[in-house]
Amino acid sequence: MSAKEMTAMKLDPRTKMVMVICLSCLALIYNTPGRLLLVLAATIVLLLIFRFDPSAVFGYLKPFLSLMLILFVIQCIFSPGGNVLLTVGPVPLVTDNGLLVGSSVVLRIIVVIAAAMLLTTFSSRDFILGLVQWKVPYEVAFMVFIALRFLPIFREEAINVITAIQLRGIELKKVPWGQKMTIYRQLFFPLIYGMMQKAQQLAVSMEARGFRAYPRRTYLRRLNFNLTDYVVMLLFSAVTLMLILLQIT
Amino acid sequence: MAYLELRQVTFSYPRKMKPALTGINLNFEKEEITAITGPNGCGKTTLTKLMIGILKATEGEIYLAGRPLTDYSLAEIGSRIGYVFQKPDLLLFCSTVAEEIGFGLTNRGCDPETVQKRIKFYLDYFELTDYRNDFPLHLSQGEKERLAIAAMLANEPEFLILDEPTIGLDAYRKKLLENYLKKIARLGRGMILVSHDAPFVNRLAERVVFMADGRIQVCNERKGNDGYEA
Repeated sequence: MSAKEMTAMKLDPRTKMVMVICLSCLALIYNTPGRLLLVLAATIVLLLIFRFDPSAVFGYLKPFLSLMLILFVIQCIFSPGGNVLLTVGPVPLVTDNGLLVGSSVVLRIIVVIAAAMLLTTFSSRDFILGLVQWKVPYEVAFMVFIALRFLPIFREEAINVITAIQLRGIELKKVPWGQKMTIYRQLFFPLIYGMMQKAQQLAVSMEARGFRAYPRRTYLRRLNFNLTDYVVMLLFSAVTLMLILLQIT
Repeated sequence: MAYLELRQVTFSYPRKMKPALTGINLNFEKEEITAITGPNGCGKTTLTKLMIGILKATEGEIYLAGRPLTDYSLAEIGSRIGYVFQKPDLLLFCSTVAEEIGFGLTNRGCDPETVQKRIKFYLDYFELTDYRNDFPLHLSQGEKERLAIAAMLANEPEFLILDEPTIGLDAYRKKLLENYLKKIARLGRGMILVSHDAPFVNRLAERVVFMADGRIQVCNERKGNDGYEA
């Protein structure tokens, strides 16, 4: 099946959700860099098939870079076993096993984030519709969607605050660590409070537009699985289950 | 030498076919008041964001005091140019109104007495004293606008860029702001006003730049405007 054919098929959003679940499960169950690299390669191929620029994933990974570095270093130092590569005095600091575990953790995060990008290849309306047709209550589906929408808003809000601070002439890079921590501590609660205020305004706006005004919702459009959706879902689920069983045994 | 100079500046937002700004050539003198006007979506705010380095020009160069803007950090630009966003909420991040006004000064090492004096002055001038301990995001739109302007002015920047500064202000507060901006102008500090408020612009600006569709359409010198010289 060529990439062009697969794009032309316009898979159901629920099929893509299954794909994301399968890829994420594999990322969680595998613990060697080699296998995780294979899962990452498969994810990138899927992103290309659905015409998502894989280089854009880097933009989404950027905020997590420091977290990934910290996790990598911690795993490198505290994972026991393997050949010692670096010692500080009598203490073995880095082992080859530590390096493998550290790289696995980083790769796992990359796979989960890259796989989640598949969810951006369809509209938010389809996301909610897909969950509702899976018998997820509409309120819950809508909450999940809003939660997902709030993550980038929170990130944007944090970037705005950092920009606003710099526009007051404060060179954050040159501020001593102690003062920097004080500034961040001062900003934390207003930032959270600002987000809560936004959530409250959203709730009011939704109520004003009749959210949950009637107990039963009707939908103009219905998502329908076609044969390809069934085949892809079955294939992904079967392969994932088989790989998990192989890994466990 | 112009204080701010834009040479053939073009800017496109990512994944947009049509550029937001095309071939902008503009000079701003340090002591001059310029107004930028034009219909919604013509690129006025984008232009100001380029001038303070929040956005980077796709093509062309911007110079600040003779040096390329790219040579400055955002904080260096911020200490020279005071910028007020169209949405004041974006500039407010402290726990109280007083903290918001003193934030820049405190963290730039001003002595506490000077900080307190300036906080008091701006709270009084912009009639925010009653709210000094309130959470900034709880204020009304007009109060937030006044606070954002006060917090920016407290840093005493040498040049100002105000994006829609009169939105949400009543006639009396608008007059207060106008008087303060005239006072600053008399002290030799120039500014760019992005505004749809024609009477406000007419009373303050020495030059009006009219934009449409991402381009400069008209650039009028307005000698002898009534307000600034008053």
